[in-house]
Amino acid sequence: MKSKKIISLLLASLMLLSVIITGCGNGGGESAESKSGTETTGTSGGSGKTSVTFWTLSTRQEALDEIAESFNAANDDVEVTISYYDTDGIKDACKVAASSGTLPNMWFNWGGSLGRFYVDNGATYDLTAYAKENGWSDIFTSGSLSLCTFDDQLAGYPTSYSVLNVYYRKDIFEQYGLEVPTTFEEFEEICATLKENGVTPISTAGLNGWHVMRFVELLVEYYAGEETHDALSTFDESWDNEYVIKALTKYKEFCEKGYFPDGFVTANPDDTRLAMMTGECAMDIQGQWYDGQILSDGGDLSLFGTFALPTSGTSRVSAFAEMTQFNANNSAEELEACMRFMDYYYNDENVEQYADFYNLPLPKIGSEAPEKYINIPTIMETAETNGTFTITDQAFPSEVADGLFNVQDAVANGEMTPEEGAAAIQAAVEAYQSK
Amino acid sequence: MKKRVKTNIGSYIFLMPALIIYLSVIVFPVFYSLYISLFKWNGIGDMEFVGLNNYINLFVSDPIFITALKNNIIWIVLTLVVTMTIALALAVMLNKQFKGRTFFRGFFYFPCVIAPIAVSIIWRWIYNPSVGFINEFASLLGLDFSQSWLSDPKVSIYAVFVAALWQAVGQPMILFLAGLQGVSTEVLEAAVIDGANGRKKFFKITIPLMKETFVIVIATLIVAAMKVFDVVQGLTGGGPNNATQMLSTYMYSQTFTYNNVGIGTAISCIMVIIMMLVIVPYVSFTAKDD
Repeated sequence: MKSKKIISLLLASLMLLSVIITGCGNGGGESAESKSGTETTGTSGGSGKTSVTFWTLSTRQEALDEIAESFNAANDDVEVTISYYDTDGIKDACKVAASSGTLPNMWFNWGGSLGRFYVDNGATYDLTAYAKENGWSDIFTSGSLSLCTFDDQLAGYPTSYSVLNVYYRKDIFEQYGLEVPTTFEEFEEICATLKENGVTPISTAGLNGWHVMRFVELLVEYYAGEETHDALSTFDESWDNEYVIKALTKYKEFCEKGYFPDGFVTANPDDTRLAMMTGECAMDIQGQWYDGQILSDGGDLSLFGTFALPTSGTSRVSAFAEMTQFNANNSAEELEACMRFMDYYYNDENVEQYADFYNLPLPKIGSEAPEKYINIPTIMETAETNGTFTITDQAFPSEVADGLFNVQDAVANGEMTPEEGAAAIQAAVEAYQSK
Repeated sequence: MKKRVKTNIGSYIFLMPALIIYLSVIVFPVFYSLYISLFKWNGIGDMEFVGLNNYINLFVSDPIFITALKNNIIWIVLTLVVTMTIALALAVMLNKQFKGRTFFRGFFYFPCVIAPIAVSIIWRWIYNPSVGFINEFASLLGLDFSQSWLSDPKVSIYAVFVAALWQAVGQPMILFLAGLQGVSTEVLEAAVIDGANGRKKFFKITIPLMKETFVIVIATLIVAAMKVFDVVQGLTGGGPNNATQMLSTYMYSQTFTYNNVGIGTAISCIMVIIMMLVIVPYVSFTAKDD
């Protein structure tokens, strides 16, 4: 009886000890803390293998799993582990990780306010010196490098320069005798004709707001013009003005005329492609990645064309950059491992083999998209000839962007007039600025 | 003569692992959240002490917070009235003897084990205005009916509630079932002999004898209603225009989307306070008679 008691006590003490040791341990390997408290999740030393972690979009998983496997097999001294998230999931995951000091060694991010957050808080590695030493100005386009630079700090490895156009179903247009519009009025006539014939003109979805925003910002570009639109994006011009009211009035008109799918306000943006593929809708505002998505869905790309929505001036198109950011706390070995993987991920061989999973052309000098992506040359040309403006949800801080998205919902549902909507957006800007 | 309680050191040692985990995973984060709520902080940079300003600003100058609070109160009322009533009704029916009773118990409990995000996906398609089950069924019946269930701000919260109800009714149903089976049949037989009909038996005998079950069910339903997040986030994200915004979804947006960690934690503390204000008096009141 006494021995049973002793054994029980020993077991309990062992259990207690193991809990304490596990709680105090750091999983082995080195990890340093910086001022921002962002520990790396990679490890190095010990076995001689440098392990690094990469967070990216789930749309790339099919290609990346194989790329990572072949990279790890070919590089005995490096191991890359990848975690996948959806478009909005990765934004939240990185924020949570930044708050808890558990950002990965490298992660996918967008430019603008999304990427800037990590720069402003010292969470990203300053690649300025690394880029200079490794001749990045001879590798990447100057435009993409500048979009990844914040306050003179190069904050990311440029991975794409995305441009948005209006994708349309050529066969549906042909069926109803429609041609690519050269004016906004012609675009409205196209929408009216499509609607009369039972085709919903524009495929869009308002859950999370950014897909509907792609159309609303073009209306702002149309009514406000280039200069005023740029001033609106930097908050140098009030959103409570006649141009924004006109843009929201036109948006409300489109909603009332049924130019968007029923219930689009809370529909999932992942589903807009389905409506285009089935012919339920005839147009969708997307970036050049859409070619790859259509092909990987088994769609017929020859049915799709693109055009820049005729707005004002040169009919600028919306554009944004994507990059891979690196943990400010990466050791030299970890950074080197990350860069080796990035260079491998974006080498010519992998890009050719897994082309459907990249935003092509890459932001590298002389880079071209494979010929099978028949719309990409047209889209990239519109960026060159028409010019671009920064996509609104990257120009805006998140809470102001959400203010815009709420106005989009409210105007669509008749809860707000366009005048109230314009005032509400400006109120969101002012609330942010007074923080 | 006072009986001396023998201290068993072994008991404390056995309790220590669970206590350490409980303190570190539950207790410490609660107090740390309270601490953070007194600061203006973006989650990474320096913390600026603002005292109770986060709380004051939420109630005084944040209309979205007020909307979320109102929506949560609506959700709590709907949960207590609708979810509890349906769960009790199902439990009463499934307590009777009939063929297939076990199958139907599993059938009504099954949605409980589905992941909330899967529930959102299922109901998103049910509510789809073009190809969704409800609208398609209506048109099959020849009804000229089309409703944007999730996009219409007047009905969206109720549409999301129905999806949550479908998933949530199973658990209180099981608790009520257990409570019903704990009611003594002798007492019920005695009531019948005394001339009590079915309704009187149920309201005057069965329900009072299930007092403890009601305490547990009501407490857990209020907590669940206050914390509701997954199904709302999955179906509407709090939209359209905050029509389905809940304290939990707004807390999430403030903390992880807008980087206002101080405000987000203040919202979470307010949620806890509201739950305590409702549950503690109720439990104390019902425990008084015991």
